[in-house]
Formats: sequence, C-alpha cells, structure tokens
Amino acid sequence: MPEHDEKRWTCEEFEKALPELFERAEGGKLSADPRFAEILRDCPQAAELVRDLEYIAETARMLLEPEGEGPSSDLWGKIEREITSKDSIQ
Amino acid sequence: MQILGSDAVLYGGVQPAGLSKERRLTISVCQTGVAMEVQGYGMTQNNTTPVAGHFKRNPPIAGEADALERAKNGDPDAFSKLYALHKRRVYTLCLRMLGNVSEAEDMTQEAFLHLYRKLGSFRGESAFSTWLHRLTVNLVLMHLRKKGLQLVSLEETINPSEEDAPKRDFGSRDPRLSGSVDRVALERAVATLPPGYRLVFVLHDVEGYEHNEIAEMLECSTGNSKSQLHKARLKLREILRQNEHAALVQESK
Repeated sequence: MPEHDEKRWTCEEFEKALPELFERAEGGKLSADPRFAEILRDCPQAAELVRDLEYIAETARMLLEPEGEGPSSDLWGKIEREITSKDSIQ
Repeated sequence: MQILGSDAVLYGGVQPAGLSKERRLTISVCQTGVAMEVQGYGMTQNNTTPVAGHFKRNPPIAGEADALERAKNGDPDAFSKLYALHKRRVYTLCLRMLGNVSEAEDMTQEAFLHLYRKLGSFRGESAFSTWLHRLTVNLVLMHLRKKGLQLVSLEETINPSEEDAPKRDFGSRDPRLSGSVDRVALERAVATLPPGYRLVFVLHDVEGYEHNEIAEMLECSTGNSKSQLHKARLKLREILRQNEHAALVQESK
C-alpha cells in the first residue's frame, strides 16, 4: 500500500485501501481530507463510492435513537415475575 | 470450534468474583481463520477506560441518575423507571444484532435481568447506557454462539457466503445513491445484511464502538473488523441501489 502523502495512488490501490483510510480519516470523512482531493478528482468512480459509503455511515448514526416499536408491553411483567421469583428463592 | 467453560455467563460484561479468566467461552469465528475468543466478561468497571465518544453519543437521560441510585438501593419502582428509560434502545440493539423479534425480546429480558443482578457493580466510570449496551452486546454474542452450536456452524453465521458478499469490480462505474436514503430505508437494508456484516456495522456505525473494541468483543484483529465494516457498507450500498432502482421501475409503470 503506498503512503498516501508520498506516492501517487492508482484508483484500484485507493479503493483497496479504503477500509484503512476510512478509519484514519478525521470523523471518517475521507472526502474532506485534502490529501485525497487529487485522487478523488482523478477517479470519479472511487469518489462516488466514497461519497456513498460516507453517506451510509452518516445515516447510520441516526439509527442510534430508535424510532420503531419497542418490546411488547407484557415484557416488563415477565421481568418483574422473574425478579420476584428469584428474590423469593434467595 | 471449541467451548471452554460452557457455563460461563455474561454478567453484564462484569467478571463475577471467583470466576477465573480461564472459565470463558472460546469459539472460532474469525473470517481469516484465526481463532477468536469471545470473552463473556470483556468489560469490567475496574479496567475499562471510558470511551469519550460513548459519553457524547450516550448523554445522561433526565431522571436516570436518581433512578439508578434508588434502584441500587433496592427500590423496585426505580428499576422499573430504568427499564422504561432504556427498553427501546436495548430492544432495538438486540433486534438489529439478531434480526429476529422473538429472540430480541428474549434477549431484552435477559439483559434487564442481568442488569438487576449486577446493578451494584456499576460505578459510573462510563455512561450508564454505554455500560448497559455493552452488557447487552455481550449477552447477544453469547446467545449467537450458543445458537451457532445448535443450528449451523458459527463461521457460517458470522461470515457471509460468497453469494452474500458485496459484488464489486474495481474501476466499475456504479450508479450513485440518490442521497435521499432515509433511516427507514437504511434500517430495512441493515436487516437484510448477512449476520456477520450486520454485527460489525451495528456495533461500529450505529452504536459507535471503535474497531479495537469490536475486535476485543469478537476476538479478531482490528483489520478484520475494518474489512468486515467496509464490506458491510459496500453490501448496503448495493442493497440500497437495488431498492432505489426497483422503486424507479415501479414508478415508471
């Protein structure tokens, strides 16, 4: 893998190195890193890939706060019964 | 695949007194063929450095600190309050990792029962929700290992087949995503990911764990975690593009 700040990348080398490069990029935002501006300009398909993968990662952060259904309403009753029965054994 | 100490239980990531480190469940799940140990008690309050990102992503919830203290002192109403505050996120985490409503509900129950037993060991060195989520993740991983033993080999469970792997030719021109992918579309796409990809994606991109933490949980290399995450994102891109294309075709009819 060439050092990105020393050698020129081919598009293929760049795409292969993406897992590591994403990890090193500030905030996972490779497209904002000026060191990669040139390769992203020269490899439009890699630029689109980077853009899409960043977009997916950004959207994923929104999933932390759930919007969907929670557990069924009787789950607390089950937990309470388990706690009570174990407490009474102890 | 090897099990050592099959009675090892995930006590919320907290190693119970008297449970030696040797009594841990060991299993090979690494894609690269390197044996990975999933340790049942990988996170203790004694030796875990809080991760700053997790405090940012898991800010304290109103009423949580008070409920926590009262629940530690045995107040059942306070524990009920903790359940109410955290049930949706714990359930959703289980559902995303397992992809099955019934199992997610069972694991939510397990998580809160473990929480009840181990609440006293929480010392506030990380955000409570971070601690609770790690407890939950450990339980789910343990569940997956057990399930893997009973149903299919865990390697198949964790590592997707070639068919499931993202298809990509270097240099190929793919249509880009429209930029209008919303959380519902992404949630659906995540649900269709092969289990191994889904686990790493949920742990890293949704829950905010670092690769070194994921590697520790799954006992694989950080490189493997990075690689799995990248493949998961590529696969999601593929699924989302297919869905967008299908929607366009539907609209044009």
